[in-house]
Amino acid sequence: MNIRTITKISLIAAIYAALTIGLAPLSYNFVQLRISEALTVLPFIMPESILGLFIGCAIANIYSGLGIYDIVFGSLATLISAFLTAKMPTKWLAPLPPVAVNAVIIGYMWSYFAQMPFYLTAGYVAIGQIGACYLLGLPLLHLFTKSQILKKIKEF
Amino acid sequence: MLKDITIGQYIPGTSLIHRLDPRCKILSVIIYMIALFVVNDTVGYFSVLLFSLLIILLTGISPVYYFKGIKALLIIIFLTVGLHFFMTPGTVVAEIGPLAITQEGIKQGIFMGTRLILLVTITSVLTLTTTPIALTDGIELLLNPFKRIGVPAHELAMMMTIALRFIPTLVEETDKIMKAQMARGADFESGNIIQRAKALIPLLVPLFLGAFRRADDLAMAMEARCYRGGENRTRMKQLKYSSLDIIAMVVIVVFLGFSIYTRVVL
Repeated sequence: MNIRTITKISLIAAIYAALTIGLAPLSYNFVQLRISEALTVLPFIMPESILGLFIGCAIANIYSGLGIYDIVFGSLATLISAFLTAKMPTKWLAPLPPVAVNAVIIGYMWSYFAQMPFYLTAGYVAIGQIGACYLLGLPLLHLFTKSQILKKIKEF
Repeated sequence: MLKDITIGQYIPGTSLIHRLDPRCKILSVIIYMIALFVVNDTVGYFSVLLFSLLIILLTGISPVYYFKGIKALLIIIFLTVGLHFFMTPGTVVAEIGPLAITQEGIKQGIFMGTRLILLVTITSVLTLTTTPIALTDGIELLLNPFKRIGVPAHELAMMMTIALRFIPTLVEETDKIMKAQMARGADFESGNIIQRAKALIPLLVPLFLGAFRRADDLAMAMEARCYRGGENRTRMKQLKYSSLDIIAMVVIVVFLGFSIYTRVVL
């Protein structure tokens, strides 16, 4: 890995964590509307962000409620969905993996810990994720692909 | 909109728990959590509770900090306990309209509530007594054995450390950009959820550009200082296991053994 890639990944991680921690009360409620989850569309246009989101999520989860499990499973869910997002054929489908993967993994985790019905917990997670990924993520992706921003970022 | 944040909840101290090696603490938390999921009866839960209280006392940190962690999850805890109270079939104790509270439900509800509270509290013990940097070092060293199967342990830890260092900077920058956009007429605080989400875009774009500029500067600075990755690098602070860590590991393993005993034998 070259140094430039390392620093880019680190800064993407820092953005994710800063947005999650900065907007904390919204992020850690049961209906998780993590504004930072909008960034999960980025792997579609920037492959570096796959690892960046994973690390950012791990750091942010260190300070969330559920502890080690959230760090491991939450970050793993982000890693898997970031890989899938990078492979999506159109940008309309790019926000789909973060919604689906998180709903299944985090939903299952919650339902297991609290011994609650899976559809309830998965549904809650999915609602928050749809909010962040489709309402904010998709417009963000449009803007990045349409304008000169991506070109500028790639030059760095 | 952004409030003052502290990265990491580390409270400085010199207690026994503070002095433990971060690797030992991470492993202990994992073993503790296994024990927490092994126990399934009154004796088991009671012993876990006692053990946890002992650890909390040993950290010498005011309980207020632990309550803060629990407060964030209060809704979930109430929901869980309530759901178990009413949804578990068994001997009916009380009836409220169509809902019935059962003896088994009360027991199960208290068990699950305790489990959630302890999950949160023990993780707080880890984050309250360990600096984020020590935690990252611990993770790197614990991942070292996985290098052979291609886990880039050093790079991951390096990236975590850089990210940790830049979080406060970026939070500050976000705040600045927000104010700058507000001065230009941006509105972050009104409108429905779609309008609010869209309002965040003029915030995210400059944030990204700024961050990438910083990444570029940092890469140049690291190159100028001949950074070449993990090979042969030395550390300013070397982590070393002490006899205290060995004792802690023995205690936690014995505790896990006892938990398994309560489930299998009792």
